[in-house]
Amino acid sequence: MRKDLRLELRSGESTLALLALSMLVLVVLVFALGAARVRSVDAAAGALWVAMVFAGMLGANRALLAERDNGAIRGLLLSPLDPSTLYAAKLCAALIFMAVAEVGAVILMVLFFNLDFDASMARLAPILVLGAIGFSALATLLSAITGRTRGGDMLLPILAVPIFVPALIAGVKASAAALAGAPFESMGDWLKIMIAFDVLFVTAGYLLFEHVVGGE
Amino acid sequence: MNNPTIRNWLGFSTLALMLASLFMVFDYVPPDAEMGIAQLIFYYHVPLAWVAFASFGLVAIAGIFYLWLGDQLWDDLGYAAAETGMVFCTLMIIAGSIWAKPIWGTWWTWDSRLTMTFILWLMYGGYLMLRASADDTPQVARFGAVIGIVAAMDVPIVIVSVRLWRTIHPAVLVTKQGTHGLEDPRMVWTLLVSLTAFTLLWAWFLMLRFTQLRTRSRMSKLAGRIALATVAASDPK
Amino acid sequence: MGAHFGYLFAAYSIIFVAIFLYVMFIWRRQAALDAELRTLEARMAALTERPAAGAPPRPDA
Repeated sequence: MRKDLRLELRSGESTLALLALSMLVLVVLVFALGAARVRSVDAAAGALWVAMVFAGMLGANRALLAERDNGAIRGLLLSPLDPSTLYAAKLCAALIFMAVAEVGAVILMVLFFNLDFDASMARLAPILVLGAIGFSALATLLSAITGRTRGGDMLLPILAVPIFVPALIAGVKASAAALAGAPFESMGDWLKIMIAFDVLFVTAGYLLFEHVVGGE
Repeated sequence: MNNPTIRNWLGFSTLALMLASLFMVFDYVPPDAEMGIAQLIFYYHVPLAWVAFASFGLVAIAGIFYLWLGDQLWDDLGYAAAETGMVFCTLMIIAGSIWAKPIWGTWWTWDSRLTMTFILWLMYGGYLMLRASADDTPQVARFGAVIGIVAAMDVPIVIVSVRLWRTIHPAVLVTKQGTHGLEDPRMVWTLLVSLTAFTLLWAWFLMLRFTQLRTRSRMSKLAGRIALATVAASDPK
Repeated sequence: MGAHFGYLFAAYSIIFVAIFLYVMFIWRRQAALDAELRTLEARMAALTERPAAGAPPRPDA
């Protein structure tokens, strides 16, 4: 599990690329939405989640590419580590990776969308953590599939984004509410959906991962 | 499943019922008083929805059995179900869209059921793209099974989330008062006939594609053995 | 009443044309499978005609 992290921290390259990508997505959305809408929290929440999904996808693909280049998957499979533990390790790595990207994206969002660093950030944090868990759980499972398929880099978003939609809807709605200063109780339904998604996909990934990586 | 007599019989009865349902829609059933003639699309839209969702359920069930038992048969069934489901799902969306234009004044709207269907369509489109881009190995069959299961697991959460998001789709079959919106018995009969027709059509397509995929799986196994035997035979030793 | 007949007609035509096209697709797949089967049979026949080269593993079953 330390392997992915150490690899990332040592190079620092993909973390930088990730932040650059988040920034570019936000810039594109600022221009696409126009200056008039840039003050709305709905637009900011939406832009934040677009940046998050892109960053998550990039992270999942890069982690896999790095592994494929080093032949690390074979090494991991030959080691006595069981697939479920391998999944948990890769999930943690993806999660930390996404968390870094999210912190960067939130700072940029506040700057670009003329928001303030206030109490709403504290309410935004758990929503983003729930979103990151769900996306990482899904992307870790699916990137293990697409990484073993021809043209898989293109397939990852095609497979991951539709499945992620419920968490995306809930996340955008809850984030917009949080940025508007609404209390937690008002977004209970959205948070429940996100928690359900996270529980379901972490469990699914944990149980199904062996079928994906096994038998090679 | 592989009996050609059953297949032919199924094909002919499907054709007969499809023609009967067509007759009932255009000549027998009275159109809805409010929506007018465009409402008649309903009699194919609903059966299409049923067979599409049944297909996607079957993909998940076949996936579970494949991961459990490892028999290629289940993968062939899942693949056939995903493909036929995609055909019917696409047609359901097109038919619904054409219905929506005169009634709602728009081809598409982000209503909860429409959104849910579109997300399903995207998910199984991804499944088919994966299958099309990969070779037919047991590994890819496992990938298909995993995606089929994960997609089906996602459906309840998708339904809850998009329902909270927005809804304008008519609930024709079960309204809030617990009655159905088909007041004329001829409407009920027409719907039942077209439902049966599409269920048979689905079974027929599924059987044909499943049989073909079975044949292909067996043939690729056979081709491997022949290749081995050819090497053994040409080896002088 | 007749105002929306175009929509109705379009919907049903598209459904029937698509069903027909899918049947055609299945039919073409079947033709391709049959052709493949014939090549396999020919290769098997070629194998069994050379019994001198030892006993090849049985390709059936």
